[in-house]
Order: sequence, then structure tokens, then C-alpha cells
Amino acid sequence: MAKKFEVTNNIRKLRFFADEMTQQELAEKAGASRQTIHAIETGKYSPSLELAFRIADAFEVKIGEVFDYEVKEG
Amino acid sequence: MSYQEKRTITSIITGALVLAAYCIEAFGLYQSGAVAPGDLKLWAITMLKYIGIGIVAAIVIQIVFHILLSVSIAVKETIRDGKAAEKEIGKKIEREMVEDERDKLIGLKSNMVGFILAGIGFVGGLISLALNSSPVVMLNIMFISFSAGSLFEGFAQLYFYRKGV
Repeated sequence: MAKKFEVTNNIRKLRFFADEMTQQELAEKAGASRQTIHAIETGKYSPSLELAFRIADAFEVKIGEVFDYEVKEG
Repeated sequence: MSYQEKRTITSIITGALVLAAYCIEAFGLYQSGAVAPGDLKLWAITMLKYIGIGIVAAIVIQIVFHILLSVSIAVKETIRDGKAAEKEIGKKIEREMVEDERDKLIGLKSNMVGFILAGIGFVGGLISLALNSSPVVMLNIMFISFSAGSLFEGFAQLYFYRKGV
């Protein structure tokens, strides 16, 4: 049976703990658009490795604390 | 709705209007019987004319769209803050128009949809010629499929913006 990998993230939680940082503020820090941050947060878009690092950098945490992946049996 | 989606809708409307105008003129030419069956020159001139109209219309409408968008942002900001600084408005407009990797990816994916449709039209045109249709039919199939390809590129873009990539 094929395995499915799904990228998950903690951006909403991290924004909350970063003094309720807005999506726009995160977008500006990470060098992306607000729509892209929204799409990543809702799981509609998996960012490139570079953007993922920039998002982690905006929260001053390791990339693994922002993104994770789940393995699902297809 | 994001800036990119609004821009895509504007392009779709422009493309649809130009394609509709071409179809009306082409149908009129065909119905009037004024064109000889093998008169490719007239068809080529008509198509070139509409390619030109399409390019000019796309540029003009995009300029008008950007002006209207900037005005609407300025008005919204002024209503919200009472009086908004010019710098703030400029910043907000800049923020709206940011293009990043997701926009590029969506652009590439939707380009592929457009190319596929144009390719199908090209093959369809060749098939029509192989089946003894007139070269005018082939030319029209190709022209319409290229225009429709660009329209569907816009629809695909909207789909990817809404549903994700």
C-alpha cells in the first residue's frame, strides 16, 4: 500500500505565542505574501525549503518546530 | 479576494471579450460569403488585427485596473483612519502587489493548462486539414484554441488560488 506524506505546521500556534503576530507581519518578515502565509497555514500550499527556513527564522525557532510531516497509509 | 485573483479575472474578461469580438466578425465574414473559400490572406489580416487589439486591450485594461485598485485602497485607508498618510497608502499598495514563489508556481502550472489546450487545438487543426477541411477552418481552429487556451490559463490560475497547489 502506498504511503502518503502530509506536511503539517504549527504556524497558527506560533503566531499566537508571538504576541498574536498577524499573517501580514509574518509575511513581511518571511518575504512572502499574506495569501501565501494563509495558504501554508491552512495546508493548501507546501512552501519551498527556503521559505520554510525564513518562516522559522521569523519565529526564531528551528524549522522542525514549525513544520512536521505525517505518514498516512494510502 | 487577492490582488492576483482580481488581476486574473480582469485578464479573463479582456480575453473573453476579444475572443467574442473575433468570433462575431469571423462568423459575419463567413456568413456574408464575401470571402473566397481559399482566401487565407483576409483571415490572416483579421487574426493579426485581433492579436493587436488583444495586446493593446490587455495593456490598457491592466493600467486602468491598477489605477482603480490604487484608488480603492487609498479610499479604504482614508475611510478607516480618517486621514491616511501617503506613505502608508503606498506601503499598503505595495503589500497588496507582492508576488512570491506560490504565485510563480501557480503561473507555471496554469501556463501548462494553456499550452495543453493550444496544443490540442493545433493537432485538431491539422486533423481537420487531413480530413479535407479547408485551410480556413484549420486556421480558425488554431486561432480560437490559442485564445481559449489563454482563457483557460486564467481559469486554472483562479482554481489554484482557491483550491491550493
